[in-house]
Amino acid sequence: MAYAPKPLLPGDAFEAALRFGLALEQDLAHRQDPPDRAACLARHWRDLLELGWAGTLLPEAAGGAGGAIADLVALADGAGRSAMPLPVAAACGVVPMLLRAVPDAAMQAAVATGRMRPCPVLEPGAVTARMEGEGWLLEGSLLGLELVPEPTHYLLACPIAAAEPGLFLLPADAPGLAVTRHLRIDGRLSADLALHSPARLLARGAAVREAVAAARDLGAFLTCVEAVSAMGALIEQTIAYLSARVQFGTALASFQALRHRVAEMHVAAENTRGLVAQLLRAAGTAPALPWREVSFAKLRLGEAGRFVAEAAIQMHGGMGVTEALPASRLARRIMLAEFEYGDRNWHAARLLEAA
Amino acid sequence: MDDAADLESFRRTLREFALSHCPPEIRAVVAANRKLGRKEWSAWQRILHARGWGAPSWPKAHGGTGWDLRHRHAFDEVMAECDCPPQYHHGLRHIGPVLIEFGTPEQQAHFLPGILNGEDWWCQGYSEPGAGSDLASLKTRAERDGEEYVVTGQKLWTSHAHESDWMYTLVRTSSAGKRQEGITMLLIPLRSPGITVRPVPTIDGWHHVNEVFLDGVRVPAANRIGEEGKGWTYGKFLLDRERLGGANVAPAFRFLDRARALVAAELQGPQNRLKREMLAMRLLQIEAELRGARELGLAAIDDVMNGRPLGIAPSVLKLSTSEAMQRTSQVALDAVGHRLATRFRPVDASGPNAEVGEIEWLQNYLYLRAKTIFGGSSEVQKNVIARQLFGT
Ligand SMILES: Cc1cc2nc3c(=O)[nH]c(=O)nc-3n(C[C@H](O)[C@H](O)[C@H](O)COP(=O)(O)OP(=O)(O)OC[C@H]3O[C@@H](n4cnc5c(N)ncnc54)[C@H](O)[C@@H]3O)c2cc1C
Repeated sequence: MAYAPKPLLPGDAFEAALRFGLALEQDLAHRQDPPDRAACLARHWRDLLELGWAGTLLPEAAGGAGGAIADLVALADGAGRSAMPLPVAAACGVVPMLLRAVPDAAMQAAVATGRMRPCPVLEPGAVTARMEGEGWLLEGSLLGLELVPEPTHYLLACPIAAAEPGLFLLPADAPGLAVTRHLRIDGRLSADLALHSPARLLARGAAVREAVAAARDLGAFLTCVEAVSAMGALIEQTIAYLSARVQFGTALASFQALRHRVAEMHVAAENTRGLVAQLLRAAGTAPALPWREVSFAKLRLGEAGRFVAEAAIQMHGGMGVTEALPASRLARRIMLAEFEYGDRNWHAARLLEAA
Repeated sequence: MDDAADLESFRRTLREFALSHCPPEIRAVVAANRKLGRKEWSAWQRILHARGWGAPSWPKAHGGTGWDLRHRHAFDEVMAECDCPPQYHHGLRHIGPVLIEFGTPEQQAHFLPGILNGEDWWCQGYSEPGAGSDLASLKTRAERDGEEYVVTGQKLWTSHAHESDWMYTLVRTSSAGKRQEGITMLLIPLRSPGITVRPVPTIDGWHHVNEVFLDGVRVPAANRIGEEGKGWTYGKFLLDRERLGGANVAPAFRFLDRARALVAAELQGPQNRLKREMLAMRLLQIEAELRGARELGLAAIDDVMNGRPLGIAPSVLKLSTSEAMQRTSQVALDAVGHRLATRFRPVDASGPNAEVGEIEWLQNYLYLRAKTIFGGSSEVQKNVIARQLFGT
């Protein structure tokens, strides 16, 4: 029997996320116009918030599900199968981690219900913060931020002094804030921000530093989960394509060069999956994700992911470079995953510095 | 004057002309790695034609320069070094030489001048949904009806069909015998009734490939090249003529230079040292491979000029240069991908940063995926090489 990728954590959450992603894929299939696609993403995002995904990690007392990282992993894994172009890791993982630095139950409750939809910013780009009068002013610009559809706020980490990080809350309709939206190569929304806006400082110092580090590591981990899931789907689709496509009177699947390439894709994907599985185990026992293992996983994903994505495109021939082909969308998702929460150079540098 | 000195002064003449006559706006398109279209190509073709250099690879009798291979190679190299567009190949390098070799005098008189002066634009209609690597399985049918053929079928991946006047195409005129023997080459005006050209959107975000539907298209039999059923031979002749295209490594070197400049500009300062050096190392490795490929290209030219067989050198060259260009684009992606891949298509058409600068690096990375698929995929090239090496 031909290959079918296995979920990391089989169960209802995985299945529900899988179905959700496939429904969105269908809805997007005939929408070419970027504004139309953006509106479609926003509609499905509202549905997703209604299902309570944003509250997965938030405490029950605040209206969340009080879930563990594993619960979020199951969702990310299901969503990854169709390269679902919605910011699950950012909104459901990174935001709750940042809120750890903010002991504000009302805010957590607003996030859990989707009334408050903060878009997290871990890298402030060229944005700086300074005191003005009683309050704080954020100034500068930021490119290619992964955007939560219809954000109500930006939850932005930015230094407030030489070595002191701050966490700011900036309303999406703040004066002096200009947003330019784009679609990324994986079909998600992104934003360039230009700002000269007052913002509220929610927290500062060590608590923020720890929250940002934990948020980035969780973001990187969930990105690896999604990408490994997408690699499984991509391998499955490549096998199906090579089995169905006939050239020279025979299925392409009969050519050994191509069979070997698929085998190599599988080795690379399984290897990355091993790193992810190890992190999943650690997530269940330790209070924080082990940063070293996160960096190794992301480092591996950079190389393995690009190999898998490029190999799949190559073996689909001309079809592989078409925009609409699901396999090419999976490939672009995997390519982009490399740049989220630190690319391979960033993680390599972190490992080398600590060595 | 000896050979080397002669070539050197030839290069100087070429360079002076290129720098003074190729419009800066066209060279800017090349320097930014933007995809060229008919607009840039035909403007440049007109200029070259006016100088008498419209067709470096054609004999003088047909309006070509009559240059030998070495001079043609120098021409391609110098033009690339000066950021001039490579000449549009479908007319000059593909169908032109076929017309010169197999066309009737009437066909030559009718078609060659428009190719030379850049007024007629050509595309290649070979591939079909079911016929890619296995081109001989093509199904588009042409049935003889008096002095016309009636053509019905579908072509796919037809580059530039949307901006072309003519399509040279392979069609099936017989299903009997060997598959290759029932194929005929026809020249089809794209304005003919029954033709529909639709874009095929690609991951790079440029419009270059199309599908071309032919529904009872009537083509005069006078537009057939040579004999009915011999299309495969002409198609192969065309590909053989093109086999030395890979010897021109200059565009790959220019692309590498630009990637190097990008890395230096993007990754300044001590905080970027590790990444900068890792990327610089990869670019050096690519340069080493390209230097090897350049030597092989010159040796291949020497072989042809001295009547020695080319063998598998073209396949070797194509594998090296196409993959080296892909790797160059990967380095560029690693340098700037984070701020380009995240900003591929504007949603809000205006506002700050709606136009993303340098987006061509990302588009080229995605576009270059196709370089190991078209023109004989890497797998097909490896089959050719292995067959020769193993003798079976
Ligand atoms: C950007 C672009 C521009 C193009 N422009 C034109 C054009 O202008 N005119 C035109 O006629 N065509 C054009 N083509 C078509 C191109 O020639 C075909 O894509 C190419 O021949 C491959 O065919 P295919 O896409 O059907 O892939 P397939 O033949 O289906 O191949 C799929 C995969 O299988 C591999 N494979 C096939 N056979 C073997 C084998 N025997 N052993 C091992 N592996 C094998 C291939 O290498 C590839 O990786 C273009 C294609 C692209 C992508």
